Amino acid sequence: MEFVNTRKKTDKRMTLKEAIATFVKDGDTIAFGGMGGIQCVAHAYEIIRQGKRNLTLIGDSPCEAGDLLVGAGVLKRMEIAWCSYAVAGLAHNFRRAVEQGIPHPIEVEDYSNFTIGLRFLAGAMNVPFLPTKSLLGSDLPKYNARIKTMDDPYTGETVALVPAARPDVAIVHVSRSDKRGNAQMFGFSSNAENLVRAAKKVIITCEEIVSTDEVRRHPNLTIAPEYTVDAVAEVPFACHPWNMPYYYAYDIPFHIQQLTAFRTREGFERWMDEWCFGVDSWEGYLAKVGWDRLERLRRVERRFTHISC
Amino acid sequence: MAENQNFARDYNLPELLVAAAARELRDGDVVFVGVGVPLLGALVAKLTHAPNLIMAMESGSVGPMPYRIVLGIGDNACVENAICTTSLWRLFADQQRGYFDVGMVGGAQVDKYGNLNSTAIFGSGDYYHPASRLPGSGGANDIASSARRTVITIPLEKRRFLERVDYITSPGYLNGYDSRKKAGLPGGGPVAIITNKCIFRFDPETREAYLDSVHPGVSVEEVRANVSWDLKVAPEVKVTPPPTEEQLRIIRIIDRAGIYTNNGLKNLTFESYIQLLEGSLEELQQLF
Repeated sequence: MEFVNTRKKTDKRMTLKEAIATFVKDGDTIAFGGMGGIQCVAHAYEIIRQGKRNLTLIGDSPCEAGDLLVGAGVLKRMEIAWCSYAVAGLAHNFRRAVEQGIPHPIEVEDYSNFTIGLRFLAGAMNVPFLPTKSLLGSDLPKYNARIKTMDDPYTGETVALVPAARPDVAIVHVSRSDKRGNAQMFGFSSNAENLVRAAKKVIITCEEIVSTDEVRRHPNLTIAPEYTVDAVAEVPFACHPWNMPYYYAYDIPFHIQQLTAFRTREGFERWMDEWCFGVDSWEGYLAKVGWDRLERLRRVERRFTHISC
Repeated sequence: MAENQNFARDYNLPELLVAAAARELRDGDVVFVGVGVPLLGALVAKLTHAPNLIMAMESGSVGPMPYRIVLGIGDNACVENAICTTSLWRLFADQQRGYFDVGMVGGAQVDKYGNLNSTAIFGSGDYYHPASRLPGSGGANDIASSARRTVITIPLEKRRFLERVDYITSPGYLNGYDSRKKAGLPGGGPVAIITNKCIFRFDPETREAYLDSVHPGVSVEEVRANVSWDLKVAPEVKVTPPPTEEQLRIIRIIDRAGIYTNNGLKNLTFESYIQLLEGSLEELQQLF
Protein backbone atom coordinates (compact mmCIF):
# COMPACT_ATOMS: atom_id res chain seq x y z
CA MET A 1 0.00 0.00 0.00
CA GLU A 2 1.23 3.47 -0.85
CA PHE A 3 2.08 5.57 2.17
CA VAL A 4 -0.06 8.69 2.38
CA ASN A 5 0.99 11.51 4.67
CA THR A 6 -2.44 12.58 5.83
CA ARG A 7 -1.10 15.87 7.18
CA LYS A 8 -0.15 16.92 3.62
CA LYS A 9 -3.61 16.35 2.14
CA THR A 10 -5.38 19.46 0.90
CA ASP A 11 -8.85 18.15 1.67
CA LYS A 12 -9.00 16.24 4.95
CA ARG A 13 -12.74 16.10 5.32
CA MET A 14 -14.35 12.86 6.43
CA THR A 15 -17.15 11.86 8.76
CA LEU A 16 -16.50 11.50 12.47
CA LYS A 17 -17.17 7.78 12.07
CA GLU A 18 -14.52 7.48 9.37
CA ALA A 19 -12.03 9.57 11.34
CA ILE A 20 -12.35 7.42 14.47
CA ALA A 21 -12.24 4.21 12.43
CA THR A 22 -9.15 5.38 10.54
CA PHE A 23 -7.06 6.89 13.32
CA VAL A 24 -8.02 5.33 16.68
CA LYS A 25 -6.56 1.83 17.16
CA ASP A 26 -7.03 -0.55 20.06
CA GLY A 27 -4.32 0.08 22.65
CA ASP A 28 -3.76 3.71 21.60
CA THR A 29 -3.16 6.63 23.91
CA ILE A 30 -5.71 9.36 23.25
CA ALA A 31 -6.36 12.92 24.37
CA PHE A 32 -9.37 15.20 23.99
CA GLY A 33 -9.72 18.96 23.81
CA GLY A 34 -12.23 20.85 25.93
CA MET A 35 -12.29 22.01 29.52
CA GLY A 36 -15.58 22.37 31.33
CA GLY A 37 -17.25 23.31 28.06
CA ILE A 38 -16.23 22.25 24.55
CA GLN A 39 -16.20 18.64 25.74
CA CYS A 40 -15.74 15.95 23.11
CA VAL A 41 -19.02 14.10 23.61
CA ALA A 42 -19.88 12.99 20.04
CA HIS A 43 -16.35 11.60 19.78
CA ALA A 44 -16.58 9.57 22.99
CA TYR A 45 -19.90 8.03 21.91
CA GLU A 46 -18.42 7.12 18.51
CA ILE A 47 -15.35 5.48 20.06
CA ILE A 48 -17.63 3.41 22.26
CA ARG A 49 -19.93 2.52 19.38
CA GLN A 50 -16.97 1.24 17.39
CA GLY A 51 -15.93 -1.00 20.28
CA LYS A 52 -12.40 0.33 20.73
CA ARG A 53 -10.46 -1.34 23.55
CA ASN A 54 -7.50 -0.90 25.92
CA LEU A 55 -7.09 2.81 25.37
CA THR A 56 -5.07 5.10 27.64
CA LEU A 57 -6.56 8.54 28.19
CA ILE A 58 -4.36 11.55 28.98
CA GLY A 59 -6.29 14.66 29.93
CA ASP A 60 -6.58 17.59 32.32
CA SER A 61 -10.23 17.36 33.32
CA PRO A 62 -12.03 15.06 30.89
CA CYS A 63 -15.57 14.99 32.18
CA GLU A 64 -17.73 13.31 29.58
CA ALA A 65 -15.01 11.53 27.62
CA GLY A 66 -13.39 10.25 30.81
CA ASP A 67 -16.44 8.95 32.59
CA LEU A 68 -18.23 7.54 29.51
CA LEU A 69 -15.14 5.69 28.27
CA VAL A 70 -14.45 4.23 31.71
CA GLY A 71 -18.05 3.10 32.06
CA ALA A 72 -18.04 1.53 28.61
CA GLY A 73 -14.91 -0.46 29.45
CA VAL A 74 -12.83 1.24 26.76
CA LEU A 75 -10.00 2.48 29.00
CA LYS A 76 -7.26 0.54 30.70
CA ARG A 77 -5.47 3.59 32.06
CA MET A 78 -6.03 7.27 32.80
CA GLU A 79 -3.41 9.97 33.34
CA ILE A 80 -5.58 12.82 34.50
CA ALA A 81 -6.09 15.66 36.94
CA TRP A 82 -9.82 15.33 37.48
CA CYS A 83 -12.82 13.23 36.52
CA SER A 84 -16.25 14.53 37.44
CA TYR A 85 -19.10 16.50 35.87
CA ALA A 86 -18.61 19.65 37.98
CA VAL A 87 -21.89 21.34 38.85
CA ALA A 88 -24.08 18.60 37.35
CA GLY A 89 -22.68 15.78 39.47
CA LEU A 90 -20.03 13.16 40.18
CA ALA A 91 -18.40 10.75 37.75
CA HIS A 92 -20.09 7.56 38.90
CA ASN A 93 -18.45 5.31 36.32
CA PHE A 94 -14.97 6.54 37.27
CA ARG A 95 -15.74 5.94 40.94
CA ARG A 96 -17.16 2.46 40.32
CA ALA A 97 -14.07 1.52 38.29
CA VAL A 98 -11.57 2.68 40.95
CA GLU A 99 -13.54 1.62 44.01
CA GLN A 100 -15.06 -1.66 42.80
CA GLY A 101 -13.34 -2.58 39.53
CA ILE A 102 -16.59 -2.18 37.55
CA PRO A 103 -16.72 -2.85 34.62
CA HIS A 104 -13.01 -3.63 35.08
CA PRO A 105 -10.14 -2.16 37.11
CA ILE A 106 -8.25 0.79 35.62
CA GLU A 107 -4.86 2.29 36.34
CA VAL A 108 -4.98 5.95 37.37
CA GLU A 109 -2.01 8.31 37.45
CA ASP A 110 -2.86 11.62 39.16
CA TYR A 111 -1.62 15.01 37.99
CA SER A 112 -2.98 18.56 38.28
CA ASN A 113 -4.54 20.57 35.46
CA PHE A 114 -1.48 22.76 34.96
CA THR A 115 0.95 19.86 34.96
CA ILE A 116 -1.13 17.91 32.43
CA GLY A 117 -0.99 21.13 30.38
CA LEU A 118 2.79 21.17 30.78
CA ARG A 119 3.00 17.55 29.68
CA PHE A 120 1.25 18.46 26.42
CA LEU A 121 3.41 21.58 26.08
CA ALA A 122 6.55 19.45 26.49
CA GLY A 123 5.22 17.05 23.86
CA ALA A 124 4.44 19.97 21.56
CA MET A 125 7.96 21.40 22.09
CA ASN A 126 9.57 18.01 21.53
CA VAL A 127 11.41 18.15 24.86
CA PRO A 128 11.34 15.24 27.35
CA PHE A 129 9.91 17.06 30.39
CA LEU A 130 9.14 20.44 31.91
CA PRO A 131 9.76 21.79 35.40
CA THR A 132 7.09 23.39 37.57
CA LYS A 133 6.48 24.89 41.00
CA SER A 134 3.22 22.94 41.31
CA LEU A 135 3.06 19.51 43.00
CA LEU A 136 5.81 20.33 45.54
CA GLY A 137 5.01 19.28 49.10
CA SER A 138 1.84 17.48 48.06
CA ASP A 139 1.19 13.73 47.91
CA LEU A 140 0.94 13.62 44.12
CA PRO A 141 4.65 12.76 43.67
CA LYS A 142 4.39 10.20 46.48
CA TYR A 143 1.94 8.08 44.48
CA ASN A 144 3.10 8.96 40.97
CA ALA A 145 6.67 7.81 40.32
CA ARG A 146 6.88 9.76 37.07
CA ILE A 147 6.70 13.08 38.91
CA LYS A 148 10.30 13.77 39.91
CA THR A 149 11.75 16.58 41.97
CA MET A 150 15.21 18.00 41.50
CA ASP A 151 17.28 21.04 42.36
CA ASP A 152 17.40 23.62 39.61
CA PRO A 153 21.02 23.35 38.35
CA TYR A 154 21.19 27.16 38.03
CA THR A 155 19.74 28.40 41.34
CA GLY A 156 19.46 25.30 43.50
CA GLU A 157 15.73 25.82 44.06
CA THR A 158 13.53 22.74 44.15
CA VAL A 159 11.34 22.07 41.12
CA ALA A 160 9.02 19.22 40.15
CA LEU A 161 9.33 17.60 36.73
CA VAL A 162 6.58 16.10 34.61
CA PRO A 163 7.18 13.93 31.54
CA ALA A 164 6.15 14.95 28.02
CA ALA A 165 2.87 13.49 26.78
CA ARG A 166 2.82 12.16 23.25
CA PRO A 167 -0.61 10.72 22.57
CA ASP A 168 -1.17 8.54 19.51
CA VAL A 169 -4.31 10.50 18.69
CA ALA A 170 -5.59 13.93 19.72
CA ILE A 171 -9.27 14.68 19.18
CA VAL A 172 -10.17 18.35 19.34
CA HIS A 173 -13.43 20.14 18.74
CA VAL A 174 -13.14 23.75 17.51
CA SER A 175 -15.43 26.53 16.40
CA ARG A 176 -14.55 26.30 12.73
CA SER A 177 -11.99 24.91 10.31
CA ASP A 178 -11.31 24.85 6.62
CA LYS A 179 -11.04 21.53 4.77
CA ARG A 180 -7.25 21.60 5.06
CA GLY A 181 -7.48 21.62 8.87
CA ASN A 182 -6.73 25.23 9.74
CA ALA A 183 -8.67 25.09 12.98
CA GLN A 184 -9.94 28.26 14.63
CA MET A 185 -11.29 28.80 18.09
CA PHE A 186 -13.40 31.59 19.49
CA GLY A 187 -13.07 31.81 23.24
CA PHE A 188 -10.83 29.73 25.47
CA SER A 189 -8.91 26.84 24.00
CA SER A 190 -7.94 24.78 27.09
CA ASN A 191 -4.84 22.79 26.00
CA ALA A 192 -5.96 22.25 22.42
CA GLU A 193 -3.09 24.02 20.65
CA ASN A 194 -0.54 21.94 22.50
CA LEU A 195 -2.24 18.59 22.40
CA VAL A 196 -2.57 18.72 18.61
CA ARG A 197 1.17 19.38 18.40
CA ALA A 198 2.02 16.70 20.94
CA ALA A 199 0.01 13.96 19.20
CA LYS A 200 1.04 11.68 16.36
CA LYS A 201 -2.39 11.88 14.64
CA VAL A 202 -4.92 14.68 14.99
CA ILE A 203 -8.66 14.66 14.37
CA ILE A 204 -10.25 18.10 14.24
CA THR A 205 -14.00 18.39 14.44
CA CYS A 206 -15.77 21.71 14.10
CA GLU A 207 -19.12 23.37 14.41
CA GLU A 208 -18.74 24.62 10.84
CA ILE A 209 -16.45 24.20 7.86
CA VAL A 210 -15.43 27.56 6.43
CA SER A 211 -13.33 28.61 3.45
CA THR A 212 -9.59 29.15 3.69
CA ASP A 213 -10.25 32.79 2.75
CA GLU A 214 -12.40 33.12 5.87
CA VAL A 215 -9.58 31.63 7.97
CA ARG A 216 -7.12 34.11 6.47
CA ARG A 217 -9.31 37.03 7.52
CA HIS A 218 -8.59 36.28 11.23
CA PRO A 219 -5.38 34.26 11.36
CA ASN A 220 -4.88 34.93 15.07
CA LEU A 221 -7.86 32.66 15.80
CA THR A 222 -6.07 29.61 14.38
CA ILE A 223 -5.03 27.23 17.15
CA ALA A 224 -3.92 24.44 14.82
CA PRO A 225 -2.43 25.18 11.40
CA GLU A 226 -3.03 22.58 8.69
CA TYR A 227 0.38 20.96 9.03
CA THR A 228 -0.64 19.60 12.45
CA VAL A 229 -3.92 18.03 11.34
CA ASP A 230 -4.84 14.66 9.77
CA ALA A 231 -8.62 14.74 9.55
CA VAL A 232 -11.43 17.29 9.65
CA ALA A 233 -15.06 16.47 10.38
CA GLU A 234 -17.95 18.90 10.58
CA VAL A 235 -19.92 17.88 13.66
CA PRO A 236 -22.41 20.52 14.84
CA PHE A 237 -23.54 20.23 18.46
CA ALA A 238 -20.66 17.80 19.10
CA CYS A 239 -20.49 18.87 22.76
CA HIS A 240 -24.13 18.37 23.71
CA PRO A 241 -25.18 18.48 26.54
CA TRP A 242 -22.10 20.61 27.24
CA ASN A 243 -21.78 24.17 26.02
CA MET A 244 -19.89 25.57 23.06
CA PRO A 245 -19.01 29.27 23.47
CA TYR A 246 -20.66 31.45 20.81
CA TYR A 247 -22.67 28.49 19.49
CA TYR A 248 -24.99 26.91 22.08
CA ALA A 249 -25.72 27.03 25.79
CA TYR A 250 -25.12 24.24 28.30
CA ASP A 251 -28.12 21.85 28.39
CA ILE A 252 -27.86 21.26 32.11
CA PRO A 253 -31.41 19.87 32.52
CA PHE A 254 -30.46 17.09 30.09
CA HIS A 255 -27.20 16.50 31.93
CA ILE A 256 -28.97 16.11 35.24
CA GLN A 257 -31.24 13.43 33.74
CA GLN A 258 -28.22 11.64 32.30
CA LEU A 259 -26.25 11.73 35.54
CA THR A 260 -29.23 10.56 37.54
CA ALA A 261 -29.25 7.49 35.28
CA PHE A 262 -25.48 7.02 35.74
CA ARG A 263 -25.84 6.61 39.51
CA THR A 264 -26.32 2.87 39.03
CA ARG A 265 -24.50 0.56 36.67
CA GLU A 266 -27.84 -0.63 35.28
CA GLY A 267 -28.91 2.96 34.67
CA PHE A 268 -25.68 3.66 32.79
CA GLU A 269 -26.09 0.53 30.65
CA ARG A 270 -29.68 1.43 29.82
CA TRP A 271 -28.57 4.95 28.89
CA MET A 272 -25.87 3.65 26.57
CA ASP A 273 -28.25 1.17 24.97
CA GLU A 274 -30.57 4.02 24.19
CA TRP A 275 -28.28 6.97 23.40
CA CYS A 276 -25.14 5.26 22.06
CA PHE A 277 -26.02 1.84 20.63
CA GLY A 278 -29.66 2.72 19.88
CA VAL A 279 -28.54 5.16 17.17
CA ASP A 280 -25.92 4.67 14.49
CA SER A 281 -24.27 8.07 14.53
CA TRP A 282 -24.11 11.44 16.30
CA GLU A 283 -26.79 12.72 13.92
CA GLY A 284 -29.04 9.98 15.31
CA TYR A 285 -28.30 11.16 18.86
CA LEU A 286 -29.07 14.76 17.95
CA ALA A 287 -32.32 13.81 16.23
CA LYS A 288 -33.26 11.96 19.41
CA VAL A 289 -32.47 15.02 21.57
CA GLY A 290 -34.64 16.99 19.15
CA TRP A 291 -33.68 19.75 16.73
CA ASP A 292 -36.16 22.13 18.38
CA ARG A 293 -34.37 21.82 21.68
CA LEU A 294 -30.95 22.24 20.07
CA GLU A 295 -32.14 25.26 18.13
CA ARG A 296 -33.36 26.87 21.35
CA LEU A 297 -29.97 26.29 22.99
CA ARG A 298 -28.37 27.97 19.99
CA ARG A 299 -30.82 30.88 19.98
CA VAL A 300 -30.50 31.61 23.68
CA GLU A 301 -26.70 31.53 23.46
CA ARG A 302 -26.74 34.03 20.62
CA ARG A 303 -28.35 36.56 22.97
CA PHE A 304 -25.35 36.35 25.32
CA THR A 305 -22.38 35.71 23.04
CA HIS A 306 -22.16 35.92 19.28
CA ILE A 307 -19.40 36.16 16.74
CA SER A 308 -19.20 39.58 15.19
CA CYS A 309 -15.92 39.65 13.34
CA MET B 1 -15.20 51.93 48.88
CA ALA B 2 -18.82 52.88 49.31
CA GLU B 3 -20.34 49.71 50.64
CA ASN B 4 -23.76 49.93 52.15
CA GLN B 5 -23.21 48.60 55.68
CA ASN B 6 -26.87 48.02 56.50
CA PHE B 7 -26.91 44.37 57.45
CA ALA B 8 -29.67 42.20 56.05
CA ARG B 9 -31.94 40.42 58.48
CA ASP B 10 -33.68 37.93 56.22
CA TYR B 11 -30.96 35.81 54.59
CA ASN B 12 -30.02 32.13 54.42
CA LEU B 13 -26.73 30.37 55.19
CA PRO B 14 -25.41 30.12 51.60
CA GLU B 15 -26.01 33.86 51.23
CA LEU B 16 -23.97 34.51 54.36
CA LEU B 17 -21.17 32.36 52.92
CA VAL B 18 -21.19 34.25 49.64
CA ALA B 19 -20.86 37.50 51.57
CA ALA B 20 -18.02 36.01 53.66
CA ALA B 21 -16.20 34.96 50.47
CA ALA B 22 -16.75 38.43 48.99
CA ARG B 23 -15.23 40.02 52.09
CA GLU B 24 -11.98 38.09 51.58
CA LEU B 25 -11.44 39.90 48.28
CA ARG B 26 -9.97 43.35 47.74
CA ASP B 27 -10.32 45.85 44.96
CA GLY B 28 -7.81 45.13 42.21
CA ASP B 29 -7.38 41.48 43.16
CA VAL B 30 -6.91 38.95 40.38
CA VAL B 31 -8.92 35.98 41.63
CA PHE B 32 -8.71 32.39 40.47
CA VAL B 33 -12.27 31.25 41.07
CA GLY B 34 -14.02 27.92 41.34
CA VAL B 35 -17.71 27.45 40.69
CA GLY B 36 -20.43 27.97 43.28
CA VAL B 37 -20.18 30.05 46.43
CA PRO B 38 -16.61 31.34 45.73
CA LEU B 39 -17.55 32.55 42.27
CA LEU B 40 -20.71 34.21 43.53
CA GLY B 41 -18.58 35.84 46.22
CA ALA B 42 -16.18 37.19 43.59
CA LEU B 43 -19.04 38.60 41.51
CA VAL B 44 -20.64 40.20 44.55
CA ALA B 45 -17.30 41.75 45.51
CA LYS B 46 -16.85 43.09 41.99
CA LEU B 47 -20.30 44.65 42.00
CA THR B 48 -19.83 46.24 45.43
CA HIS B 49 -16.48 47.11 47.01
CA ALA B 50 -14.06 45.68 44.41
CA PRO B 51 -14.98 47.04 40.95
CA ASN B 52 -11.48 46.39 39.59
CA LEU B 53 -11.42 42.75 40.63
CA ILE B 54 -10.57 40.36 37.79
CA MET B 55 -11.90 36.81 37.78
CA ALA B 56 -9.87 34.10 36.10
CA MET B 57 -11.21 30.64 35.24
CA GLU B 58 -8.98 27.68 34.50
CA SER B 59 -10.53 26.95 31.11
CA GLY B 60 -8.54 30.02 30.00
CA SER B 61 -11.00 32.88 30.58
CA VAL B 62 -9.97 36.16 32.18
CA GLY B 63 -12.19 38.96 33.43
CA PRO B 64 -15.66 37.90 32.29
CA MET B 65 -18.73 39.92 33.30
CA PRO B 66 -21.50 37.48 32.56
CA TYR B 67 -25.18 38.33 32.43
CA ARG B 68 -26.07 34.90 33.82
CA ILE B 69 -25.15 32.42 36.52
CA VAL B 70 -21.90 30.60 35.79
CA LEU B 71 -22.52 26.83 35.56
CA GLY B 72 -18.91 25.69 35.33
CA ILE B 73 -15.37 26.98 34.89
CA GLY B 74 -15.74 26.30 31.16
CA ASP B 75 -19.28 27.57 30.82
CA ASN B 76 -20.05 30.04 28.05
CA ALA B 77 -20.62 32.61 30.78
CA CYS B 78 -16.83 32.54 31.31
CA VAL B 79 -16.18 34.12 27.91
CA GLU B 80 -19.00 36.67 28.19
CA ASN B 81 -17.58 40.19 28.18
CA ALA B 82 -14.18 38.73 29.03
CA ILE B 83 -10.99 40.77 28.66
CA CYS B 84 -8.98 37.77 27.51
CA THR B 85 -9.59 34.20 26.47
CA THR B 86 -6.54 32.00 26.23
CA SER B 87 -5.44 28.47 27.02
CA LEU B 88 -5.42 26.49 30.24
CA TRP B 89 -1.65 26.15 30.53
CA ARG B 90 -1.15 29.86 29.78
CA LEU B 91 -3.53 30.85 32.56
CA PHE B 92 -1.82 28.56 35.05
CA ALA B 93 1.56 29.84 33.87
CA ASP B 94 0.35 33.38 34.66
CA GLN B 95 -0.50 32.12 38.12
CA GLN B 96 2.89 30.46 38.62
CA ARG B 97 4.44 33.72 37.45
CA GLY B 98 2.76 35.40 40.43
CA TYR B 99 0.00 37.50 38.84
CA PHE B 100 -2.86 36.00 40.83
CA ASP B 101 -3.61 37.48 44.22
CA VAL B 102 -6.20 35.00 45.44
CA GLY B 103 -7.19 31.44 44.68
CA MET B 104 -10.34 29.78 45.94
CA VAL B 105 -10.16 26.06 46.61
CA GLY B 106 -12.19 23.31 48.23
CA GLY B 107 -11.89 19.64 49.06
CA ALA B 108 -13.44 16.75 50.94
CA GLN B 109 -10.98 16.84 53.84
CA VAL B 110 -8.87 19.58 55.42
CA ASP B 111 -6.34 19.40 58.24
CA LYS B 112 -5.14 21.86 60.83
CA TYR B 113 -2.46 23.22 58.51
CA GLY B 114 -4.94 23.85 55.71
CA ASN B 115 -3.83 20.91 53.56
CA LEU B 116 -6.69 19.70 51.37
CA ASN B 117 -7.68 16.31 50.01
CA SER B 118 -9.84 16.06 46.90
CA THR B 119 -8.30 12.85 45.56
CA ALA B 120 -9.36 9.85 47.66
CA ILE B 121 -10.83 8.96 51.05
CA PHE B 122 -8.79 5.93 52.05
CA GLY B 123 -11.17 4.46 54.68
CA SER B 124 -9.80 1.02 55.51
CA GLY B 125 -7.97 0.93 52.18
CA ASP B 126 -5.30 3.14 50.62
CA TYR B 127 -4.75 5.38 47.60
CA TYR B 128 -4.92 2.39 45.28
CA HIS B 129 -7.97 0.88 46.98
CA PRO B 130 -9.86 3.84 48.42
CA ALA B 131 -13.22 3.72 50.14
CA SER B 132 -14.16 6.71 48.06
CA ARG B 133 -12.47 7.99 44.92
CA LEU B 134 -12.93 11.75 44.53
CA PRO B 135 -12.53 13.75 41.31
CA GLY B 136 -8.82 14.60 41.85
CA SER B 137 -6.82 17.82 41.90
CA GLY B 138 -8.15 19.54 38.83
CA GLY B 139 -6.49 22.92 39.17
CA ALA B 140 -6.60 22.94 42.97
CA ASN B 141 -3.00 21.80 43.53
CA ASP B 142 -1.74 24.50 41.18
CA ILE B 143 -3.84 27.21 42.80
CA ALA B 144 -2.81 26.16 46.31
CA SER B 145 0.85 26.06 45.19
CA SER B 146 1.08 29.43 43.45
CA ALA B 147 -1.70 31.89 44.38
CA ARG B 148 -0.47 34.65 46.71
CA ARG B 149 -3.19 33.69 49.18
CA THR B 150 -5.89 31.06 49.10
CA VAL B 151 -9.36 30.93 50.60
CA ILE B 152 -10.70 27.48 51.41
CA THR B 153 -14.41 26.65 51.46
CA ILE B 154 -15.53 23.34 53.00
CA PRO B 155 -18.45 22.22 55.21
CA LEU B 156 -17.61 21.82 58.92
CA GLU B 157 -17.86 18.11 59.81
CA LYS B 158 -15.73 15.99 62.10
CA ARG B 159 -14.95 13.46 59.33
CA ARG B 160 -13.68 16.31 57.13
CA PHE B 161 -11.67 18.31 59.69
CA LEU B 162 -8.78 16.01 60.48
CA GLU B 163 -5.44 16.09 62.28
CA ARG B 164 -3.99 14.87 58.97
CA VAL B 165 -5.73 14.42 55.61
CA ASP B 166 -5.49 11.00 53.92
CA TYR B 167 -3.82 12.54 50.87
CA ILE B 168 -2.51 16.06 50.31
CA THR B 169 -3.94 17.12 46.97
CA SER B 170 -3.54 20.84 47.58
CA PRO B 171 -0.81 22.03 49.92
CA GLY B 172 -1.64 24.34 52.80
CA TYR B 173 1.13 24.85 55.35
CA LEU B 174 2.18 21.15 55.15
CA ASN B 175 3.58 20.47 58.66
CA GLY B 176 3.26 24.05 59.89
CA TYR B 177 5.89 26.70 60.66
CA ASP B 178 8.11 27.26 57.58
CA SER B 179 7.62 23.82 56.03
CA ARG B 180 5.63 25.26 53.14
CA LYS B 181 8.39 27.65 52.20
CA LYS B 182 11.04 24.95 52.58
CA ALA B 183 9.15 22.76 50.11
CA GLY B 184 9.72 25.47 47.51
CA LEU B 185 6.11 26.53 47.05
CA PRO B 186 5.88 30.06 45.62
CA GLY B 187 2.38 31.03 46.85
CA GLY B 188 1.58 32.31 50.32
CA GLY B 189 -0.82 29.59 51.45
CA PRO B 190 -4.31 29.71 52.94
CA VAL B 191 -5.61 32.76 54.82
CA ALA B 192 -9.07 31.49 55.74
CA ILE B 193 -11.28 28.41 55.86
CA ILE B 194 -14.90 29.42 55.35
CA THR B 195 -17.35 26.78 56.61
CA ASN B 196 -21.10 26.56 57.11
CA LYS B 197 -20.61 27.27 60.85
CA CYS B 198 -17.57 29.49 61.21
CA ILE B 199 -14.39 30.93 59.76
CA PHE B 200 -10.88 29.74 60.66
CA ARG B 201 -7.69 31.71 60.16
CA PHE B 202 -4.04 30.72 60.54
CA ASP B 203 -1.51 31.51 63.24
CA PRO B 204 1.28 33.55 61.61
CA GLU B 205 4.00 31.53 63.35
CA THR B 206 2.78 27.95 63.78
CA ARG B 207 0.52 28.18 60.72
CA GLU B 208 -2.11 26.18 62.57
CA ALA B 209 -5.78 26.99 61.93
CA TYR B 210 -7.68 28.65 64.78
CA LEU B 211 -11.30 29.64 65.18
CA ASP B 212 -11.68 33.31 64.32
CA SER B 213 -15.43 33.85 63.97
CA VAL B 214 -18.65 31.90 64.38
CA HIS B 215 -21.71 32.51 62.23
CA PRO B 216 -24.72 34.02 64.04
CA GLY B 217 -26.31 31.41 66.34
CA VAL B 218 -23.32 29.02 66.35
CA SER B 219 -21.41 28.30 69.58
CA VAL B 220 -17.68 27.69 70.00
CA GLU B 221 -18.51 24.27 71.54
CA GLU B 222 -20.44 23.29 68.43
CA VAL B 223 -17.39 24.10 66.31
CA ARG B 224 -15.02 22.20 68.63
CA ALA B 225 -17.29 19.15 68.47
CA ASN B 226 -16.94 19.12 64.68
CA VAL B 227 -13.15 19.31 64.54
CA SER B 228 -10.95 16.21 65.05
CA TRP B 229 -7.96 17.98 66.62
CA ASP B 230 -7.56 20.05 69.77
CA LEU B 231 -8.76 23.30 68.25
CA LYS B 232 -7.18 26.63 69.15
CA VAL B 233 -9.57 29.53 69.50
CA ALA B 234 -8.98 33.28 69.14
CA PRO B 235 -8.93 35.16 72.49
CA GLU B 236 -12.09 36.95 71.38
CA VAL B 237 -14.09 34.95 68.90
CA LYS B 238 -16.02 37.26 66.59
CA VAL B 239 -19.43 36.78 65.08
CA THR B 240 -19.32 36.54 61.27
CA PRO B 241 -21.14 39.57 59.89
CA PRO B 242 -24.28 38.79 57.88
CA PRO B 243 -24.57 39.97 54.29
CA THR B 244 -25.39 43.63 53.79
CA GLU B 245 -28.68 44.60 52.13
CA GLU B 246 -26.72 45.52 49.02
CA GLN B 247 -24.81 42.23 48.90
CA LEU B 248 -28.02 40.28 49.37
CA ARG B 249 -29.77 42.19 46.60
CA ILE B 250 -26.97 41.35 44.19
CA ILE B 251 -26.76 37.70 45.24
CA ARG B 252 -30.45 37.28 44.53
CA ILE B 253 -30.19 38.91 41.13
CA ILE B 254 -27.19 36.82 40.05
CA ASP B 255 -28.48 33.55 41.47
CA ARG B 256 -32.12 34.29 40.81
CA ALA B 257 -33.04 30.58 40.59
CA GLY B 258 -31.14 29.76 43.80
CA ILE B 259 -28.91 27.22 42.06
CA TYR B 260 -26.06 27.88 44.52
CA THR B 261 -27.95 29.61 47.31
CA ASN B 262 -31.21 27.72 47.59
CA ASN B 263 -32.77 24.71 45.89
CA GLY B 264 -29.87 23.74 43.70
CA LEU B 265 -30.66 22.10 40.41
CA LYS B 266 -33.76 20.18 41.50
CA ASN B 267 -36.92 21.38 39.81
CA LEU B 268 -34.98 22.77 36.87
CA THR B 269 -36.82 21.89 33.65
CA PHE B 270 -35.71 22.81 30.14
CA GLU B 271 -38.40 25.48 29.96
CA SER B 272 -37.57 27.00 33.34
CA TYR B 273 -33.87 26.91 32.45
CA ILE B 274 -34.34 28.87 29.22
CA GLN B 275 -36.54 31.34 31.09
CA LEU B 276 -33.86 31.63 33.77
CA LEU B 277 -31.25 32.56 31.16
CA GLU B 278 -33.48 35.05 29.38
CA GLY B 279 -34.69 36.68 32.60
CA SER B 280 -31.16 36.87 33.96
CA LEU B 281 -29.96 38.65 30.82
CA GLU B 282 -32.56 41.38 31.14
CA GLU B 283 -32.07 41.90 34.86
CA LEU B 284 -28.27 41.87 34.87
CA GLN B 285 -27.98 44.16 31.87
CA GLN B 286 -29.61 46.79 34.03
CA LEU B 287 -27.09 46.18 36.81
CA PHE B 288 -23.88 46.87 34.86
